[in-house]
Amino acid sequence: VTARVDHPAAAAEFVADEARTDWHDGALWWVRSKRDTAAAAVPEWERLRELASAIKEHTLSHLDEYLERFEANAIARGIQVHWARDAVEHNTIVHGILTAANVRRLVKSKSMLTEECGLNPYLEARGIDVVDTDLGERIVQLRGEAPSHIVLPAIHLKKEDVGATFHEHLGTPPDLVDPTALTAAAREHLRERFLTADAALTGANFAIAETGGIVVCTNEGNADLGMALAPVHVASIGIEKLIPRPRDLAVFVRLLARSATGQPLTVYTSHVHGAEPGRDVHIVLVDNGRSAQLGREGFWRSLKCIRCGACMNTCPIYRRSGGHSYGSPIPGPIGSVLTPGLDLERYASLPFASTLCGSCTAVCPVKIDLDAQLYRWRQIVVGAGHTAVGKAAAMKVASRVLARPGVFRIVGAMLRRALRVMPRRSQQLVSGAWGRGRDLPAAPKQSFREWYRTNRLKGGMR
Amino acid sequence: MSSREAILSAVRSARPAPVALPDVDAARSTFVSPDPDVVGRFIDAARVAGADVVVSERAALEHLVENVAPEATLVLSAIPSVQGTVSRHADVPTLADLDLFVCEGVLGVAENGAAWIPLSRLGVRAASFLAEHVVIVLERSAIVSDLHEAYAHIDVAGEVFGTFIAGPSKTADIEQSLVIGAHGPKRLTLVLV
Repeated sequence: VTARVDHPAAAAEFVADEARTDWHDGALWWVRSKRDTAAAAVPEWERLRELASAIKEHTLSHLDEYLERFEANAIARGIQVHWARDAVEHNTIVHGILTAANVRRLVKSKSMLTEECGLNPYLEARGIDVVDTDLGERIVQLRGEAPSHIVLPAIHLKKEDVGATFHEHLGTPPDLVDPTALTAAAREHLRERFLTADAALTGANFAIAETGGIVVCTNEGNADLGMALAPVHVASIGIEKLIPRPRDLAVFVRLLARSATGQPLTVYTSHVHGAEPGRDVHIVLVDNGRSAQLGREGFWRSLKCIRCGACMNTCPIYRRSGGHSYGSPIPGPIGSVLTPGLDLERYASLPFASTLCGSCTAVCPVKIDLDAQLYRWRQIVVGAGHTAVGKAAAMKVASRVLARPGVFRIVGAMLRRALRVMPRRSQQLVSGAWGRGRDLPAAPKQSFREWYRTNRLKGGMR
Repeated sequence: MSSREAILSAVRSARPAPVALPDVDAARSTFVSPDPDVVGRFIDAARVAGADVVVSERAALEHLVENVAPEATLVLSAIPSVQGTVSRHADVPTLADLDLFVCEGVLGVAENGAAWIPLSRLGVRAASFLAEHVVIVLERSAIVSDLHEAYAHIDVAGEVFGTFIAGPSKTADIEQSLVIGAHGPKRLTLVLV
């Protein structure tokens, strides 16, 4: 059993560096603004969101049929299809494929699913050299960290941090911090890895049931270099990535990059429908909790997610607490509705890492009701008794007081008097965590009820 | 029970109430028609994506290399009218040093400046991702308005590989600073004929 994720504690650590928090907040807001500009340039944007949502809901409500169709069509194209119930089975299957092909060196492009499954440490422990090739992922891999964002894995780092990491691992000069020069150093380092890799592992943005093929979107070209050069290609895919037909792709591809980074399209949108002669393509279809989420009435729509990251970029909590504070492979609002289903106790604090402002729902390209799902998880977390002790006790007291008007009046009068004389620090007993960075407003002399009695009831305005 | 059966049966029993598949084509017919100048929009979008755009003629293709990349020495061409210096059967280390790769796209997309290139047009799949500079020739008459139209025209599953390419490879993974030439080409030139 892994320790519970304590989001407030991890976030407190993150915000301790105020300047860095502001910088992180601003960097993500900038990406959010680019998304807004891109969305506003497409007059049919809202129609596209509705279509995307409906296509995904349709697919999920017939998912078994689409999975079977996808499998049959992929096999007909010579693609080898594998099924993994959970993370362990996924890792075992991938390792089996690599072992059978005598693979020592693996290049990976971005795959949040393999983060979820813990594939890298599993393979490394078995003697396989695993290199993440997305620049951001390579940076965090060298640092021994997890990605802090699903599209921008190193968004929490400054160029000085990257410079220090590259100096240590790639031998760049200690004072080299220019992003262009650092990228050039990474390019040279990874080129060699691409040219000597025995296999390439990718995720997929979409899997097309009607054709049995997959679509992989990148800006760097790393997935394409890996797939084009290595004799073995393994694609790890969550079962929710299915869409029915190629014509449905247009809807999603138009939404994806605009929502993610504000680009109309990623540089490469690559479609794989088989292997070149002498090559092998494997697809591993992974459940790992997805079928359980599909069966949860209030939560199955979270499986519509196309992993654009827009909900993270807009979230006031994510922007000011950083992706690592969620302790989950997928952070932010979507991570906070997906991960509690995997382990409720461990991720109990995540549904509370939200103001419920609904900004995530407003930007989601597939119209997932993220704020409503966060709210629903809160009720389940509280019902299961996983709330922090102090919070649970406070809520119990509050519900007793609020349910009894007489008690409420007495407690209210006591507090109004007490707050006028209590020193600021002890006021925090009343204001809780919220009061740490804020002062409570001055307590009024009378309650609304008293004011109403004096000014309205006695004034004859009944 | 195999994992396949276990997953399919778990999905079957978890299925939410059926939702209808929307008619994407009917929906698209209600979208506001954009500027009909697809070539103009394509050129603008391609430049925003970081590509150079050259308007030329098919007859001028034999001078293409000296016109767009006179300094290139290691040139691989996937089109007959452009003379290369490297064979398509060259080994990977040679391909990795390519100065220029030339190919012809099937179709262009005005809304995003992308060109669709299936494997048969690439010839050597890795070349288009390894070369320092990639040139894509595209017929002006093969430019469509948006991705809906593009997917209606192309056969995505017709070959084992096909890709939309929009601009040179890029990254912004270090402090959101845009850097052109991440792992792939540092330059992309679109030649419209």
